[in-house]
Amino acid sequence: MTDSHPEFPPPRFGVGDKVVVKNGPPETHCRTPYYLRGVNGQIIELIGRYQNPSLLAFHKPGLPKLWLYRVRFDQYKIWEQYNGANSDSVVADLYEHWLVPVKEHSNVAP
Amino acid sequence: MQRKVNDVGGLPGEHIDSVDHDATFFEKRIDAMLMLLISPKIKAFSIDALRRTIEENTLDDYTKRGYYEKWLYAIRHLLVEQQILSNEEIDQRITTIMQTKG
Amino acid sequence: MSHPKDHSHQHDGEHDHDHDHEHDHAPIESPQEPTGTLRYLEQALRELLNEKGIITAAQIAQQIDLQDSRTPALGSKVVARAWTNAEFKQALLANPLEAINETFGLTITTPLELVVLENKPNLHNMVVCTLCSCYPRMLLGIPPAWYKSTDYRSRVVVEPRAVLREFGTQVPITTEVRVADSTADVRYLVLPLRPAGTEGFTEDQLAALVTRDTMIGTALPQFEQA
Repeated sequence: MTDSHPEFPPPRFGVGDKVVVKNGPPETHCRTPYYLRGVNGQIIELIGRYQNPSLLAFHKPGLPKLWLYRVRFDQYKIWEQYNGANSDSVVADLYEHWLVPVKEHSNVAP
Repeated sequence: MQRKVNDVGGLPGEHIDSVDHDATFFEKRIDAMLMLLISPKIKAFSIDALRRTIEENTLDDYTKRGYYEKWLYAIRHLLVEQQILSNEEIDQRITTIMQTKG
Repeated sequence: MSHPKDHSHQHDGEHDHDHDHEHDHAPIESPQEPTGTLRYLEQALRELLNEKGIITAAQIAQQIDLQDSRTPALGSKVVARAWTNAEFKQALLANPLEAINETFGLTITTPLELVVLENKPNLHNMVVCTLCSCYPRMLLGIPPAWYKSTDYRSRVVVEPRAVLREFGTQVPITTEVRVADSTADVRYLVLPLRPAGTEGFTEDQLAALVTRDTMIGTALPQFEQA
């Protein structure tokens, strides 16, 4: 099947954007780890558009393709009692529908 | 959304056994079977489907079943789901094999 | 009937390289081959798939051989080349699969992408797949049992430095430890830092320092100057 879709939206996020990982939506096959839900991070790369694994998991074509981002999270923002360097981080590859933008002066808890 | 059985990041864990273990021939055969089944030429099912099936294990099964054991049961499940094989013929063949081994 | 645990215990140092896979009957007997249901199920599926022309015995044998041919030695060569050849390193970081396939005459594919994570003096990369066991298998071979274990997958994201210590690896507190969780089929390869004192080493000598664990990020290449 062709990759092009005339009405396919452009990426919502760009490198440097601050994002929060959602707590949902519920997915039968989910590739957003539990430990990152609700955590603030930053986009460090726009990886590209790929077939939706939640649909592929049920033998469906997984279209339309979704934007995939590499997101960096400070460890001290993920874990209450992180024991390591302040600069330590986790990086994960997350699909767009799991991310919400964070405004500069957002009240979203870290 | 609840944490699934496979979603283990951040859960408490034990000492990591970092001693190398060669894959057994049995494991290699299962590995090969899966790689071929998901290959573009055969495409019996996707790797995503395999993961989804493994995620449906109970916590008990997920914890106790070996890595390639989980693969084998998932492969069986998906071959049936995709109507490539039937449960009946698989069970029948297992019975035959058992009887032959005597 | 004993089931193998998450990591199978296999203690034979004598790996049998006689790949005679043409017959379907019971393979080489060894204490580590499972007995009972598992064994019968694998055999049943293999036989039925063969009879239906979906997967032949020859294809299984060929795939085993192909996977066997992929070992960490390949990754080590890639790293050693990157250490000694600036042009290759640049190409590797920009377009890893293409650079590797072209340079080493291979046809490796991965589900989505291969990304090379370059270690720097202030950045140490580690790789995990907390959700399953994604790994650059067609470059490094099958992942070690520990990589697939729930112990590694659960602990490395929350206590990476404790995990490093368990592997006998120290990373200074001034260096960022960055754990890449392979959540979406991007495969990661760590490009470790070249150890000091290896100036003038040949590529082969350098490759010998690059163990599999240095490319996952649980170890650092070791070189003790005499």
